Amino acid sequence: MKTATAIAIAIVVLAGSAGDVFLTKGMKQAGEISTMRPRALALIGKKILGNKFFLVGIVFMAVSFFAFLAVLSWADLSLIIPATSLSFVVSTVGAKLILKERISSLRWAGALLVSLGVALISLP
Amino acid sequence: MKTAVVLTLAIVAQAAGNVYLSKGMRDMASVGPISGGDLPLILLRGIESPAIWFGTALLLAFFLLYAAALSWTDLSFVLPATAFGYAVNVACGHYFLHEAVTPARWTGAALISVGVVLVARSGPSGLAKRKRDHAGQECQ
Repeated sequence: MKTATAIAIAIVVLAGSAGDVFLTKGMKQAGEISTMRPRALALIGKKILGNKFFLVGIVFMAVSFFAFLAVLSWADLSLIIPATSLSFVVSTVGAKLILKERISSLRWAGALLVSLGVALISLP
Repeated sequence: MKTAVVLTLAIVAQAAGNVYLSKGMRDMASVGPISGGDLPLILLRGIESPAIWFGTALLLAFFLLYAAALSWTDLSFVLPATAFGYAVNVACGHYFLHEAVTPARWTGAALISVGVVLVARSGPSGLAKRKRDHAGQECQ
């Protein structure tokens, strides 16, 4: 694997996971969405769009997406997707370390199987 | 229950969104092969395609439902659970877009499904559990 490809894939995975972690933190801060009334939803939407963590999460997701598009232009999709499927495991690690989520062994096993399955699906 | 409904809707929206987007892009490509220099033309044609609009709207709906679920449920639950969409996408590609699905892909879809069942059995939220634990500590 070329160094540039490895770096680009690392950016896709790390920025994507950081995006998920920040997005979660922002949504948790904005509070549980437990209403369907349009007016209340609009208020929550305003709160979310003003939340720093949410916005940083969106920026990380955009960085991850553009790194993904860039690496697609020179490397094989059948290499990229299996490599980026690692993000399911990296995000789970982020959820544990940064969001302090409790992750049972059952949930770890599930995340690993999902990651493996996504890698298999993308093989040609 | 709320989590199950929202995540199911999210997965369906994502799978349907990908199918419509694929269909729209392929209809466009069938007019002529696409190269990098055609980007403005692709965007213009994309705007005219109802399938691409509909696909994009569905993917936006997916993101809103995903973010909503994150407002009350663990990321380590929502993320693998929505990955079930990959397995649904393989099935949709096979049945609606008539794609050939290799045994390796079906195996991948099966592994994802088993993984999602494991995650689902781990319970939707550590948050509620933390609150309960916290209340328990206060009682002591």
